[in-house]
Amino acid sequence: MSTRTAFRPIEAIKTDPSLGLPTITMAVPMPGFPAHREFVLVRLNDDGLLYAFTSIEDPELRFLVAPPELFFPDYAPEIENEVFAALNTKDPDRLLLLVVITAAVDETTANLLAPIVLDRDSMRAMQVVLSGSGMPVRAVMNRTY
Amino acid sequence: MLVLTRRAGESVMIGNDVIITVLEARGEVIRLGIQAPRDVQVHREEVYRELQAANREAASPTEDAVQAVTRLLSAEDA
Repeated sequence: MSTRTAFRPIEAIKTDPSLGLPTITMAVPMPGFPAHREFVLVRLNDDGLLYAFTSIEDPELRFLVAPPELFFPDYAPEIENEVFAALNTKDPDRLLLLVVITAAVDETTANLLAPIVLDRDSMRAMQVVLSGSGMPVRAVMNRTY
Repeated sequence: MLVLTRRAGESVMIGNDVIITVLEARGEVIRLGIQAPRDVQVHREEVYRELQAANREAASPTEDAVQAVTRLLSAEDA
């Protein structure tokens, strides 16, 4: 009796976002997506300006995220100690901020109220709500003049 | 919904690890203190709902939308 082993055609391997990428564990799941605990960051742009934060449980689920500096150079939110504890942070300089982008053909916005904070050493992340900051959930990234 | 009545200084326990205390009740405004483990998020409900909605809207953009953002980035870089 022979066992048929499933094999991945080469195209599938080339496009599988989670292959070879380090796993990011959510210390707290993203609001609206409680079942998704593990993600990978897939680079979409050569300059490291755009990533797809992709669920390992379901690779169809992904969020476009970007480091905020290019569009929001003055964006420098305070990160509370509770976040350091949740992410097992030893060195706050190793925290990376990524803002979730809502992409549409006519208007693209970034969520400045709730950035994803990732600790590059512990590889733990969470979406931190900057309560009371007055930051917009939808900050426009493109301007049509 | 479970309904309990508390006075200022009294608390409610949820599960083993979450404690909500009424710190002050003054007219229409109630100040609540919440103790919870660090993996339990505590938010004003309307903020949480807005965040949930924003995440759902942002999730899994179409290819066209991704292209639009990529173009935006190239423009900003130049």
